[in-house]
Parts: sequence; C-alpha cells; structure tokens
Amino acid sequence: MVAIEVPEVNYTDYSNRQLAAVPLAFLVLALAIIGGWVVATGAPANLGLEFTGGVELRVADDGGNAEQQIQTAFERQPDSVRTIAGDDVIVVTFQAAEDDPEGLANDLQDQAEAAGLTTTAVDQVSPSFASDTARTALFGVALAFLGMSVLVFALFRTFVPSLAVVASAFSDLVIPIAAMNLLGIQMTLGTIAALLMIIGYSVDSDILLNDSVLRRTGEFYESVSRAMRTGVTMTLTSIAAMVVMAVVASLFGIGLLRDIGIILSVGLCADLMNTYLLNVSLLRWYKFEGVAR
Amino acid sequence: MLEPIKENWRILLLVVVVIGSSVALFAPGFGPEPAPGESASEAQQGVTNLQYGLDLAGGTRVRAPLSGYTATDVAFGGDTPGTVAEAVAAELENASVRNVGVVPEESAVEVTEPSVTESQFRAAMDASGYEYESIRSGVTQETRDETMSVIQGKINEAGLSGGSVQQVQSITGEYFILVEVPGQGRQEVIDLLEERGTVRIDVAYPDGNGTAVQEGALIQDDFEEIGTAAQSDRGTGAYVPVTVRNTAESGQSPAHAFQDAVAQRGFADAYQTQADRCGYNPETGEIETVNGDRNPCLLLVVDGEVVNSFGMDPGLADSMAAGSWADTGNFRLTTGEFAEAQTISLNLRAGALPADLDISGEGTSSSISASQGENFRTYSLVIGVLSVFAVAGMVFLRYREPRVALPMIVTALAEVYALLGFAALLGYPLELAVIAGFIAVVGTGVDDLVIIADQVMSEGEVNSQTVFDSRFRQAFWVIGAAAATTIIAMSPLMVLSLGDLSGFAIFTILGVLIGVLITRPAYGDILRRLLTVR
Repeated sequence: MVAIEVPEVNYTDYSNRQLAAVPLAFLVLALAIIGGWVVATGAPANLGLEFTGGVELRVADDGGNAEQQIQTAFERQPDSVRTIAGDDVIVVTFQAAEDDPEGLANDLQDQAEAAGLTTTAVDQVSPSFASDTARTALFGVALAFLGMSVLVFALFRTFVPSLAVVASAFSDLVIPIAAMNLLGIQMTLGTIAALLMIIGYSVDSDILLNDSVLRRTGEFYESVSRAMRTGVTMTLTSIAAMVVMAVVASLFGIGLLRDIGIILSVGLCADLMNTYLLNVSLLRWYKFEGVAR
Repeated sequence: MLEPIKENWRILLLVVVVIGSSVALFAPGFGPEPAPGESASEAQQGVTNLQYGLDLAGGTRVRAPLSGYTATDVAFGGDTPGTVAEAVAAELENASVRNVGVVPEESAVEVTEPSVTESQFRAAMDASGYEYESIRSGVTQETRDETMSVIQGKINEAGLSGGSVQQVQSITGEYFILVEVPGQGRQEVIDLLEERGTVRIDVAYPDGNGTAVQEGALIQDDFEEIGTAAQSDRGTGAYVPVTVRNTAESGQSPAHAFQDAVAQRGFADAYQTQADRCGYNPETGEIETVNGDRNPCLLLVVDGEVVNSFGMDPGLADSMAAGSWADTGNFRLTTGEFAEAQTISLNLRAGALPADLDISGEGTSSSISASQGENFRTYSLVIGVLSVFAVAGMVFLRYREPRVALPMIVTALAEVYALLGFAALLGYPLELAVIAGFIAVVGTGVDDLVIIADQVMSEGEVNSQTVFDSRFRQAFWVIGAAAATTIIAMSPLMVLSLGDLSGFAIFTILGVLIGVLITRPAYGDILRRLLTVR
C-alpha cells in the first residue's frame, strides 16, 4: 500500500544562505515576471472581464457546428472563444466597447439569436465599473495582508520569526500571480478570493513551525521535523482538495471554482518551499546567531 | 448521571449542532418565504430547505448607479423646496422642474435628467444663487429609497418570487442599486425596470340616469410635476401635489384644456360645501348618490384601470370655473391615509423610476439561464463530493489508522453539514462562491484536525487525561492563531462590495468559527476516548 511518509530533511548539510537561495530566486523571478507584465501590458496580470469591462456570452453547443457559426455570427470579432466540453457550452468574450457596453450586450445577444445560437448566460461589465472593481480588489488584498502581518507580529512578539512568516506569505502571494501570467489565467474576482485565501491558508504551516521551534521544548532540528511532519500533511491534503476542484471545475466550465483551485494549488506548493526553506533558514539564523547577538 | 454529560459535552454539542442543522435543512417551516399565491412546497427548491442564488438557479442580476448629480449642503435661505426647484430648473435648458429634486432634510438639490452634465448643473446652481458645498454624482438618499420601492413594487406586481432590490455602496462611496430576479432573462428584467405604464385622469359625470366618462382630460405628458406624498397640514389625511403644464407648442395649454373640461362638467355647481362628495363606484363604473346628489368625479386611470376617484374642493372648483386656476396649474389629490397617498404618487408616475438606472454607463448585468443554473448545481455537488474524497484519501494514506482518520473525515463532514444548516436557517442563497467557501472549509478543517492528531499522538503514548489535555491545549494555540489569520484575511471581502465574493468570505469565516468552537474540540474528545490508555 502506498503511504505518505514525510521525508526527513537533513538541514545540517546546508547553510542558511543555500537554503534561502532557492525560494529567494523564485521570488525574484516571480517579481521580474510581474514587473515585465507591468511594462508590457500596463497591468501586473492578465485582467479578466470584471477588471477591464466587456461582455461574455455562454452559447449552447448543441452538437452542430456552433463554433463555426460563432466565427460568422457577430459583427465584432470575439476576443476569445473557449469550448467547455463537459457542459456543451462555448464561452465567447468581447472586450469593452468604449461607448455603449449595454447596447453591445443586447446587440450580441440578438446577433447570436439571429444566427440560431442559444445564449444561456450573458455577463456585461462597463469599463468604469471595472476599474472601480480593480481598485477595490487591490485595496482588499493589501488590507488583508496588512491585517495578517499585524496579527502575526502580535502573536510572536519577536521580530525575526514574525518577519519570516510575513516574508514567506508575501512570496506565497507573488509566485501564484506570476504563475497565472505564465499559464494565461486571467485575474478575476475568483482569483482575488483565492489570493486572500492563500494569505489565510499559507501562514498556517508557518505558524505551526514557529510555534514548534519557539514555544516548545526540544532541540531545533527535532522541532523542525516535528512541525514538518504535521505541516506537510496539512498542506498536501489541502493541495489534493484544490487540485481535484480545479480539474473537475475546468471540465465542467465553472471558471470561478477552477481559478480558485489553480491559484490555491500553486500558492500552497510555493508555501511548502517557502516554509521549509526560507522560514527555516531565517529561524535557524535567529536561534543560533540572532539570539546570541 | 451528570458525569458522562460533563465529560463528553464537546461531543454532545456537536451532536446537537448536527441535529439542529438537520431540522433547519429538512423540517418544514424553515423553507424559503413563498411568494404571494405560491404554496410553501412550491417555493422549496429540491428536497432541502436550501435556497439557491442566481448562479445555481438561473436568473438575472443588474447592478447600476442612478444617474444624476447632487449639490450638497445647500443654503436655501428660507425658500420653500418648490421655489428652489423652480429657480434651479429655470437655469437648466434640458431639464424641467420634474427633473429637479429638493430635499430639505439632506440640504440637497439633485438633478435626475441623464442628459444634464456635471458642469451644466454646477453652472445652474451658481446662477440660481443658492450657496452649496460641492457637487457629487448620484442622487439623494430619498430618491434612492423611492427608486428602490418603485422597483420592489414592479417586481411584486410582476409576481416574480425571490426577486430582490437593495442598495450597495462601493469603496469610492458611490451607491449602486442591485436588482436580482431569479428565473428571468436579462432582457426581460431590463424591460421590466424601464417599462412605463400609461396614466391619465378622466372626468366621470352623470349623463341622464347613467354615467358618462370623458377620457384623457389629463394625460401623462400634461403633468409638469408630480410631488411625493405629504401629510396634510390641517387635520388628518394626506395628499399628493401635482402641477399641470400651462405651456403648449400650439393651441390651448393642457392646464387650460383641463380647466375648461372641469368647468363644463359642472364641478363648481356640484361641489358647494365640504359635504359634497364623489360617489363613484369603481365596480359598477357608475356614480352613486351621495347626500342626495350625483356629483362628477375625477378618475385616476393606470393602464386602463381606474385606481382612484376624487371629488373636488369647492375653492378649487370655483377658481377653475372662473378661469383663474390654469395660471398656476397646481392642485392636490387628497386622500385619507398617508399610505394611500404614496400609492397614488407611485401610480401617477406609472412605474417610471424617480431617477434612471445607468446600466450602460457604469452598470453591470449578468444572467444565467435556468438550465445552466441547474447544471451548475449538479456540478458543484460533484466537485464538493470529489474534493472531500480527495481529502479523505490523503488522510487515510497518511495515518493508515481508521481510528484516527475516520473520525477526522466524519468531523470535517459534520462541519460542512452544520454550515449548510446555517445557510438554510439564515435563508442565505447558495452560490458558486459559497460552494468554493465550503470546499475551502473542508481543506482548513482537516488541516486543523491533522494538527490535533499529530500533536496528541506525538511524544509517545497518551497515558493520562492530564497528558492529553496539555497536548490538546498546545495544539489549540496553533489552531486558534491559524483561524484568526484566516478570519482577518477574509474579512475585507465580507465588507467590500466585490460582487458575490462576500458569500465566499462569510461562509469561510463562519466555517472557521464553527470549526474552532464546535467541531475541533469535539474531535479532540473523540480522539481522547480512542487513544487514552486507561
């Protein structure tokens, strides 16, 4: 029978610098990708309909040649056409029309009907509303991160270990955003929720580690491996749930659940790395050198 | 007798919560509020009392601000609202008194005509000479409330059960009207919102022994202003002030035409004292005898149906007969009850919103067909079940000990079940975002159970209650800290207006709370019973 055994890592073989190098390299790479996106597109990620404005139609795919019909049905060229096999639906997206998105939604629906296509859902977001939403979302993420940081500092009341938690949470947040850009996932309200979820989720294993090292009796490496046994199991179960959610939801074409699933899977993987490399190295430095100073 | 209860109260509490959830989920009486004319079983969606939101049941959501501008902190200098409105409207080319609202309670003046720009309104306010603090986009609280009640009225009238309208405020302080109508397409809902009925005032008068009606003595366009319902200043009763237009493109103005019609039907002779009343019977369409006379009446007709009938004040009838009334052109439709006056005011507007919903400019709308919603419902159930299996699989692989793993999974499921019970109890509609919250709860829930199990089983055998308790307490510190960070991270979503994500946040937070307060302590007790070496 297959069993999950959390491997024992021999931390003594590596220096703090070596341990921290890998997660820091990832962090720098992720920041570079996001920076590149800002330079190239003016936004840190591929913004979805909710943040740019536009119209999204779900058209029923009744087995005929709906996809070809879509190419000819609309006066405007669709910005994207996605087929969702599990649900027999084709999702057609149009970016915002500057002048009259409401009229656009009506026109598109009429055009689809005229071409014999059945629309099962219509979403319309106006550009000015969308930019408002983007600001609100950014504010929300910043507020959540700030609140989490304050709480962590209040819980541990020591600078370096608290900073270790906040730093790895920051990296957990940045790496999925970079991954989204590379995978072509758009930033939607669902991904914002997922990012906030990462803030809440990913600090769990960091808190567990800090608690084990700082508040329990026992030798440093013993404490780390104890926290790791529990923490890795925790993170793996969460990843399992999220991967399943992402896979099944993308089969069924439920974008919101798929996005939340993917982002959380990536974020939790990043968390495994950040907790047991970055956080551990900072804690070790604090335990053996920082305290002595 | 009490000892076992005291020892196992955490488990008992969990059992009580699960039973309570079952009651909320399945017992009749906790189901959705049925719409008028609908039985309780019809209102129920599926076998449980759960309600589904638009994502999962199909329907349309429209979210838009009301177009208009408002000048705040206006100094009226003792002028009446009417005077102020006239002065401001006179400075605006493309708006009439009808589009200018004056709200003394909020010291505000608003314009609701969409074509008026901010600079035009600013110029008009400056020109009218009233001091004001600033101009903001949007309308006054009073107009928003009134718009909401008009929309609610339309939804009720159309018999759309589960339809709702509410105000939401964005981070920039702008107000939006949020309308949700289950089971209706996008176009139908927008049509319903923009639809206007026809309203007119007819004159009914005795014709021999029967009753004749002169239709359309006043029609919709003839009204310059339709006021809001007001309490009568003397005695009881309430009224709606209206002003009839005294200008015409050509020929006679509507006010003069109405004055002539009233004079011709002998209102002045019929209404000599306050005792003379209108005896119109809406069921027969006949004027009946009151105090020995059959007096002519004014009828308020909405969409072809008579909704109110009115007599006339002797003074007003005289001034119409004398031909002097048309110069001002205003009269009051009086009635006994304030609520009735409100209805009359709504009727006169015939479903026109006090301010337009700016759906195309700054609004959003989304719509999902009923079959799509039903599919989503099935899919999210499948996704939820599979995620639980994935978690259960991982837990079994890790512990390989059913004594530890099985209660873990059962406890996590109990947590979700309790959450569903909460949703049914609160009548909170389930949406895709809420489902995501549920799955997140399973994830965090099991995480914490793993912490408890590992902590309790580490460092050798659990050979006494004290050892167990101390380890459990240690585990709980971590769980509490983790729960607190999740709650803090999620709380911005709960209050910021970011679409349906507040549902996700609410249920994640609720799940964490149920977990920390109820299910995780219970799991600790179960584990203790199974592991403690006696």
